[in-house]
Amino acid sequence: MTDISTPARQTSARSVPISRQAVIWLQRYGILIIIALLMVGLSFLSDSFLTPRNLLNILNQSAPLAIIACALTLVIVGGGFDLSAGAVFGVASVSAAWVAVNVDPMLGILIGPLVGLALGIVNGLIITGFNVHSFLATLASSMVFRGIAILITGGALIPVRMEEFAWLGRGKIGIVNIAVIVFVLFAAAIMFLLNRTTFGRRVFAVGGNEEAAILSGVRTNWVKIATFGLTGFAAGLAGVIAVSRISMGQPQAGAGMELDAIAAVILGGTSIYGGKGAVWRSIAGVLLLALIGNGFNILNVNPFFKDLTTGLIIVVAVALSAGRKRR
Amino acid sequence: MMKSNVLALAVGLAGLLSSAALVQAAEYKVAFLAASSQNGYNQAIYEGVKKAAAARGVEVEIFNGEFDATKQYSQVEDIVAGGKFQGIVIAPNDSIGIATAIEEATKAGLKVATTLFPIGPKLDVLEPQVPGLVTTVASNPAIGAKAQADAVIDFCKDKNPCKVVIIIGQKIYPFDNLRYDTYLKALGEQKNIEIVATVEGNYDPDKSMTGMQDVLQAHKDINVVLSNADQHLVGAEIAINDAGLDLKSLYLIGGGANQIAIDAIKAGRWDATLAQLPMSEGEYALNGVVDALEGKPTPAFTDEMSLGTVPPIITKSVLDAHPEYKPEWQG
Repeated sequence: MTDISTPARQTSARSVPISRQAVIWLQRYGILIIIALLMVGLSFLSDSFLTPRNLLNILNQSAPLAIIACALTLVIVGGGFDLSAGAVFGVASVSAAWVAVNVDPMLGILIGPLVGLALGIVNGLIITGFNVHSFLATLASSMVFRGIAILITGGALIPVRMEEFAWLGRGKIGIVNIAVIVFVLFAAAIMFLLNRTTFGRRVFAVGGNEEAAILSGVRTNWVKIATFGLTGFAAGLAGVIAVSRISMGQPQAGAGMELDAIAAVILGGTSIYGGKGAVWRSIAGVLLLALIGNGFNILNVNPFFKDLTTGLIIVVAVALSAGRKRR
Repeated sequence: MMKSNVLALAVGLAGLLSSAALVQAAEYKVAFLAASSQNGYNQAIYEGVKKAAAARGVEVEIFNGEFDATKQYSQVEDIVAGGKFQGIVIAPNDSIGIATAIEEATKAGLKVATTLFPIGPKLDVLEPQVPGLVTTVASNPAIGAKAQADAVIDFCKDKNPCKVVIIIGQKIYPFDNLRYDTYLKALGEQKNIEIVATVEGNYDPDKSMTGMQDVLQAHKDINVVLSNADQHLVGAEIAINDAGLDLKSLYLIGGGANQIAIDAIKAGRWDATLAQLPMSEGEYALNGVVDALEGKPTPAFTDEMSLGTVPPIITKSVLDAHPEYKPEWQG
């Protein structure tokens, strides 16, 4: 669990007082501390919380969002922003459902991530080809993609009650959902890509200082296209998992999911300005959001307080992270 | 040559006359303001609007409200300012906030009908609350919710305790709050009924499934899932199956009566749904607007629940007794 970043200078641990080191440590791992506190609190409040079944349940529920957040980390570390992930999720899920019903269930499962990849590459090409800021480009493309989802379905739901299609979202190996296994494998692949490959180093370089990266010979446009393509692929994969799980393609699927994914990435401590971040942090951000939702449902707390609590926790986590950056 | 000229003139005249007839037929233009054109229920209302418009020789155009109250408010203002339309059929996003814009529209001479919900401060009053509103084609959400709660009470009568999970759309929506309060009031009067959890489903099967999975971690012995929307039951059913509960021993009741719900009830997986008739809403609303434009009398409101050919709570026995019944929307 290491942060691959580009710190300006490494401070010698021996020159910093212990108390200050403790504060820095708290700020660096604040997200994990908040998760731990929440887990301890929920364990005391409900006997149903700290059970293998419920913890696997949380992981399974979070898998689609976590997959998107992992890939989105690359985009944000690379200095970009993707507001179209929710719409890509929607197009991929209805494409998968349509193909499963009208052609072949297995082909439906395969088509989702490929559709997502294609749409992600389109995003990358628009951003680099027209030199448009990714925020605006993906805001516009999200509308186009959502429109495509409506055209595919005619605005209606596509029921897919097929065993050959449901295994990805609902199947298990032992007690672990296949969706969780897919998420773990995908997260490991993205971590490896970001932390252990030349491509990963280039992503950090582009997000940290694009001009310097260009002068160093990095083909920044290709790096950006790749990060957006990967995020599209992830959104497509997440969409297929979701549609397979509920056996239903719906054009509105994934609405607002891009904001949840961005919130999770930023909540984890990845810098919104690019150049710094880690995949494990984004996963922690997703888990924190999932824990809040799970806790509210288990404890039967009035849903009116859910957004308030979520918002307050995000403020605390971001404040901790901001304190770390100021130092 | 002369003959061909005469023939050409005759063809030209015939064309002109037929164009004139078309103009005559499409004398009125009516705007349909959908809460969201991407929503299945709204699309079914639009189907009804189009069907009635074709029969009455009226042109219709759909506007996408994108589930955004502010956008829909602006659309009403634009229609009034544009002067292109003589009538509006609306499925309101914010049935209270839109009232002032609708009042401006009626003052400008437009004939307006509302579907799905009444427009005005009172959600349970079908009589027009906005001066000049031609007609309301909707149902009182509280009456439907009470009918659902009564069905649950009937199922629970031999069970003590009878544990109920409620899945409501979103508590920030006034109409969902009204339904929820109706559930609480009706079920709260029964000593044997215990509401163990409330989940916000947000009309999304995935969110409903997540919520239901969480609830089943804490309450594995539930008896009833009561929801205002069939979409919620799609997710709840999956969570119940995954938890290994016997679906047939539980009572699942939704709302909307879409194709998915009717198929599930016929298959014995779900028990009931509250009837809703979006196509009929659209037809009655459009006819109300055109009647008003033609100076004919129009009913102040039409209770949607009176339009159906089956009882408001649709069960398997109801469907067996009415094999000809067809849901008005897909889902």
